Amino acid sequence: ELIDRCIGSKIWVIMKNDREFTGTLLGFDDFVNMVLEDVTEFETTPQGKKTTKLNQTLLNGNNICMLIPGSDGPDQ
Amino acid sequence: MADRGRGGPPRGSHRGGGPGNSRGGGKHHGPQGPQPTMDKPKREAILDLSRYMNEKIRVKFTGGREVTGVLKGFDQLLNLVLDDVQEIFQTVESEQTTRSLGLVVLRGPTITLLSPVDGHEEIANPFLAQE
Repeated sequence: ELIDRCIGSKIWVIMKNDREFTGTLLGFDDFVNMVLEDVTEFETTPQGKKTTKLNQTLLNGNNICMLIPGSDGPDQ
Repeated sequence: MADRGRGGPPRGSHRGGGPGNSRGGGKHHGPQGPQPTMDKPKREAILDLSRYMNEKIRVKFTGGREVTGVLKGFDQLLNLVLDDVQEIFQTVESEQTTRSLGLVVLRGPTITLLSPVDGHEEIANPFLAQE
């Protein structure tokens, strides 16, 4: 239900490996697969922003580790 | 989401009644002996996380991440809600980056270890001392 409150706002998603995504949360399901929009992908180790994806992405919930609502990511 | 999880077990007991009807129409409530009465508390967590509510705990994930924060909430799938979270990166020495500010949801399937920060101390590496 906490995630329910984030729908429509920015969310920062951290995967189990060193990948992070920030974007607007459009929705999710029981397995916490997430649909995000206006997504920016960050690789933590090389410390560089890699891709900026629009057009809605589906993020596989299998690898999602942490969800941080209302955050812009690693302090941009 | 959590509601649908709790909807599972009650539906299971109804399913037991289905094949029972085909076996013997007469027996309704008789042979419930072999099946243990499902009066167990619904919260069947092995670990009673309510002990840790509002306490600072350390959580380790698969993938080698380590995080500390104050436990604010949890559910049966072991998803956690932590407040004031700090992520621990171990490169040479412990480098902490307080990147995660405020509230964080931790996914249950990725959690491998939970322990309270209270009474946790770092000791010299015992494996190095062998040399």
